[in-house]
Amino acid sequence: MLFWQMAWRNVWRYRRRSLLTVLTIALGLAFNILMRGIGDGFHEQMVDNSVRAGIGHIAIHRSGYQRDPALLKTLPDLSLLEHVVPQTPHLRGCSFRVLGDGLASTAGNSTGVRIVGIVPESERSVSTIDRAVIAGEFLNERMSRPALIGERLSQSLGARLHDKIVLLVQAADGSMGAQLFRVAGIFRSGSSDLDRGVVYLLRNDAQSLFSLEGGVSEAALLLHSSQSVAVAQQFLDQQLRGIPAEILPWYVVEPFLRQFIQLDDAFFYIIVLILFFVISVGILNTVMMSVLERVREFGVMMALGTKPGQIVRLVMQESVALALVGVAMGAALGSAATILFAYQGIDLSHYAAGAAALGITTTVIHPELTLRNLIVSDVSVVLVVLVVAFYPAIKAARFRPVNAIRHI
Amino acid sequence: MAQIELTNVSKTYHDHVAVHALANINLAIEKGEFAAAVGPSGSGKTTLLNLIGALDTPDSGAIRIGELEITSTPAAKLADFRLRHLGFVFQSFNLFPVLSVLENLEFVPALRGLPKPDRVHRAEQLLEAVGMIDLRDKRPDELSGGQQQRVAVLRAILPEPDLVLADEPTANLDSENAALLLDMMERLNHERAVTFLFSTHDPAVMSRARRLIRLKDGRIVEDQVPKR
Repeated sequence: MLFWQMAWRNVWRYRRRSLLTVLTIALGLAFNILMRGIGDGFHEQMVDNSVRAGIGHIAIHRSGYQRDPALLKTLPDLSLLEHVVPQTPHLRGCSFRVLGDGLASTAGNSTGVRIVGIVPESERSVSTIDRAVIAGEFLNERMSRPALIGERLSQSLGARLHDKIVLLVQAADGSMGAQLFRVAGIFRSGSSDLDRGVVYLLRNDAQSLFSLEGGVSEAALLLHSSQSVAVAQQFLDQQLRGIPAEILPWYVVEPFLRQFIQLDDAFFYIIVLILFFVISVGILNTVMMSVLERVREFGVMMALGTKPGQIVRLVMQESVALALVGVAMGAALGSAATILFAYQGIDLSHYAAGAAALGITTTVIHPELTLRNLIVSDVSVVLVVLVVAFYPAIKAARFRPVNAIRHI
Repeated sequence: MAQIELTNVSKTYHDHVAVHALANINLAIEKGEFAAAVGPSGSGKTTLLNLIGALDTPDSGAIRIGELEITSTPAAKLADFRLRHLGFVFQSFNLFPVLSVLENLEFVPALRGLPKPDRVHRAEQLLEAVGMIDLRDKRPDELSGGQQQRVAVLRAILPEPDLVLADEPTANLDSENAALLLDMMERLNHERAVTFLFSTHDPAVMSRARRLIRLKDGRIVEDQVPKR
């Protein structure tokens, strides 16, 4: 306890220098917490946008569908799936869809499209496509052969609201299927892929078009958070063991998104490394100065019987005391800034056009403050301080008492 | 068996030129002595104290303190030896500036693992005994030089070491404070039978010492018990 008292008082012996070091630690940590929060918020929103745009947090297909998405690979044991999926932990909604490709034509134009057959009420619980409708209305079961198309598809086909379009597909039985649909709604999702190349139909209509006779291609599950994916996947793996289904998290279905997040994280870690290096130099300077100014004191301590290990401990305790004050200030400052920005949002809409081309539809970032990141950041700073302070501590412990006592 | 015994101890410093700080020193000091190593600057007094205090090692010869042959003891064990058997008083007081008088006195007992209530009790008792209890919560920079040096002596004494080594303890004190300090050390030597070995060229200390070990050019030239 006496050593802790000495350590604490030694820290404040050179008040101005210690305050500057504490401030360096605090600002570095606060920046780290805020940047991590922005990154996490950005990533979570990107994932949320993507999963709400259609892929869901988890997709269930027949085994092999992800590698080779053939029309005939419909979900096995649909009744079991319809029973199990709603019981998935952290589930917000699920949609059983028909997926296929075809050619959309009007009198003047035609283009290749992705056809998605949905049950409107289920789809509402998974995706935000119903809220992206800018003309007409979202699909409903009372309509006759309605189609919901993207704004850019509507432009390229020259198809306006209530116009007829023909969808030509190769059906599951090998025949060519061609049916007439009427544009019931036009959507603008912000995702150029969706807006340019997707047609939503009622699921029954899609099954008829593709001659699937009740077959379903995919179950898309939306969870309360992307953090719940592992738990939900484990549940589904256990419940659906034995049937030929693949249960895929969003980052397998959409690997580009995950790679983008990993790349973004890598840039962040480089910045953090540089930041920690700068903090380290500041701390090393402070601790080293503090040691070199007290050579005689360490000599006296050794003469009185203090062991080298205890000298190391004292210097480390001083450094930890310094770090803890900095961490407390930095954590408070970083958390406050993150919460403030999380509440206000950081508007990046000026850069939205370029981002949309990359499939990024997030324009207002809401940073996230998580306990895990707070703890990891705080512990990292304390560890950095301990590593940096070790050299001066060892140096102090290696003074020869006979020389140190005479040091001026 | 003498408490301290030096046999053919030599020490040479190599700093540009070789300086023979001590040459073939043979010395025995008994328990309870109040002795002073005296001589001009550079005669080897401080080196003698550093060697006996296990702060430095001789080039040749042997030093035994109590049962321990310190010249053949590993450096790691010497810290523990100093902690349990020796007390030091330095010329420049060398109290820990961030600790109060009481905490400075607690330092060595704390290193020895004595529980806080016990060490506080002992420190307060000693301060009371020498009439310095009012200073218990003061920091060293709030004390006069004389008061600091008396606290340094108390710090050396409190753990009840076998031997106190005091290097020029009165060098930075005026005559009045030097006398007060010597009174206190004499009393502690008398009451607690603690062995004191000084290095000094202060006549006041020499006049109080019961044995004078006179050094010149690293050799003992005279070892006498002054007449009173």
